[in-house]
Amino acid sequence: MTVSAPRRSSVQRRSSQRHSGRRRPSTRRSVLFIGTTLLAAVAGIAFFAPLWWSFVNSLRPGSETFRYLNPLQWQTFFTLTPTLDNYTALLDTDLSRAILNSLIVSVVTVLAGLAVCATAAFGLSAFRFRGQGLLFSVVILTFLIPFDAIAIPLSDMFRDWNLQNTFVGLILPGIGNGMAIFLLRTFFLAIPEELVEAARLDGLGWWGVFTRIYLPLSRPALIGAGLMLFLFQWQAYVWPLLMGTDREHILGPVALSNLQGQFQVDYGVLFAASMVLVLIPLIIILSFQRYFIQSVTTSGMK
Amino acid sequence: MRRPTTITAGVIAAALALTGCAGSADSSGSSGDGSGAVSFVGPEDPAVFAPVIDAFEAAYPDITVDYTQVPFDTYATTLQQRLSAKDDTIDVFAVDQPNLAQIAAQGFLEDLSDLEDEAKAATSAAQFDINIYDGTMYALPVWNSTQMLFYNKDILDAAGIEAPSLNPDERWTWEQVAEAGAQAQAAGIESGLLLEQAEAYYQLQPLIESLGGGSGITGDDMLTADVTTDGWVEAMEWYGGTFESGLSPRGVGGFQTSAVFTDQKTAFFVGGPWDIGGFADADFAWGIAPHPSFDGGEAVTPTGSWSWGVNTASTNKDAARTFLEFVALDAAGNLASTETQTIIPANTEAAAEYLPKLEALGGDNSAGAADLITYEIENTAVARPVSIGYVQFESIINAAIADIRNGSDAMERLTQAQQQIEDAWSQLR
Repeated sequence: MTVSAPRRSSVQRRSSQRHSGRRRPSTRRSVLFIGTTLLAAVAGIAFFAPLWWSFVNSLRPGSETFRYLNPLQWQTFFTLTPTLDNYTALLDTDLSRAILNSLIVSVVTVLAGLAVCATAAFGLSAFRFRGQGLLFSVVILTFLIPFDAIAIPLSDMFRDWNLQNTFVGLILPGIGNGMAIFLLRTFFLAIPEELVEAARLDGLGWWGVFTRIYLPLSRPALIGAGLMLFLFQWQAYVWPLLMGTDREHILGPVALSNLQGQFQVDYGVLFAASMVLVLIPLIIILSFQRYFIQSVTTSGMK
Repeated sequence: MRRPTTITAGVIAAALALTGCAGSADSSGSSGDGSGAVSFVGPEDPAVFAPVIDAFEAAYPDITVDYTQVPFDTYATTLQQRLSAKDDTIDVFAVDQPNLAQIAAQGFLEDLSDLEDEAKAATSAAQFDINIYDGTMYALPVWNSTQMLFYNKDILDAAGIEAPSLNPDERWTWEQVAEAGAQAQAAGIESGLLLEQAEAYYQLQPLIESLGGGSGITGDDMLTADVTTDGWVEAMEWYGGTFESGLSPRGVGGFQTSAVFTDQKTAFFVGGPWDIGGFADADFAWGIAPHPSFDGGEAVTPTGSWSWGVNTASTNKDAARTFLEFVALDAAGNLASTETQTIIPANTEAAAEYLPKLEALGGDNSAGAADLITYEIENTAVARPVSIGYVQFESIINAAIADIRNGSDAMERLTQAQQQIEDAWSQLR
């Protein structure tokens, strides 16, 4: 009795709750549902509207860019006479060259950067050695200091080394990324030590442990770090300017900025170039997102 | 094991291949005209300088010119950093005239005093003086500018307003422009007046100087701010008032403003000669008139554009100077620099040849532009002050103009700007 009594009372309480509040939770839930949906929609539109506006204006002659802005009207966000003239005009600019250069710089940075950062993260997570904490603090410090703050003295050094106006000069600063090391190390630390011990007992060397256990298990972290390294270079602006890049070494953001003349600006062409520059990382991120999700799910099963 | 090794090898191979692409402008020092490669840095599209570079290379086959564009927005800061690092990959660079003193004071510009007589003969007095800092000539003027009043003739006709005269002696006052603008608005036009660079000192200086407010910089060392004089306050109050009353539209900035004129949303527009080219295709009748001045005030117009100078760290100075002299002192060379860009050549001879062509760009609409521009450059042009603190001055004043445009009290905001400039300059004195 003493045991069943409280049980009964709890059942009663639950059923009475169900009876008395049958409508209220469902109304509250639907209000909450509508509210969050609205909020999500507003947030989505807030993010999407500028991009969409840029896209619509890239399909319009530059002289019409600001025509429908004030007051806001349906033509602000739509055009009935889209034209690809702005995109064809881009062919006469340095943009295609710049995109190719940006891709070279970004891809080499991702490959070399992942090699460097992953080995550094492995060293900081798999081994125990004196000064490890200090070394890791230094790594953390490097990404707490904004790159722009060190860009000027760094560019002086690069100039002394004759690296100005070279691809090497553009790539090098992106390779050693403290944030990527931090991310990878955190991920590596979650890899069970038993796995490593078993592999060592089976005669696998440290290089084997790194390449056959750590790297395959860390694909999501590697892709995340790779995207970070890619975006760092893809949006590099101050650094290429400091490196004195000429037409052969021009990068995307600089070429985009160059389209903005001193006396006249063709916003149509400017928006078209922005669209092209947005599209490339978007395609890369979206295509890698699939692998990223896949990696997360499979590593979860393991 | 095999895959990572391949990747590492690939990365190293790629790095080596890229190092192979490395190269900086080769340069050689020789006497006379010089030879080799000259690297030239400026803020314009490469197409703008292609004709002048082609013409130069044809005249001097031993010298080649490599042009690099740096975006206009970041031009001054990028140049400052690269020049202070003694970057020898820049031989010749374009100098925004009001920044010349600051660049010269840091020793980044080669002394060109030996060319003074030739320079004086080649250009207008205002354009010559602007290149002198502390008694020494550091650069040669390449382009010049002025401003004029554009009006939409169709709008004025519809509103029953008589268009302003082209004659500088019958120059309209700002008060007249405001009245006519308001009349056009009453007839249904969105706004009456818009100044092209609505938040720029370059554009507003003539209004202030017209009322005797001074440039804003005084003192023997040109490091004393003076932006709260009656002329400053009165001009800025009037300017703020045009936005307050709705005569001028807020929210449009930079070089987006010319679109307001081409979209037929304003009756009057104050712009530069480059707009003649820009408005050429407009499907309405427009006209030009002298830059207005205040009632009872002096007629003042903006001037100044770009000079070019030689980097002191250049390792190919002879060839660099040859290129510079060709562009600034040789009329044909100077003219070639304006082939694709609608801008006034600083060289007087080149300008005389160029202005009729400029006038023809706008057809009947811009008839009389050549004479008007020549008159303004010779009689009413007032250059921006030469001071090593100009860069800070301009950015603080531009911010103040923007605030006044958006409703700040002129006196209060200028007093604040005065203090900000003094603070910024305390490090320079």
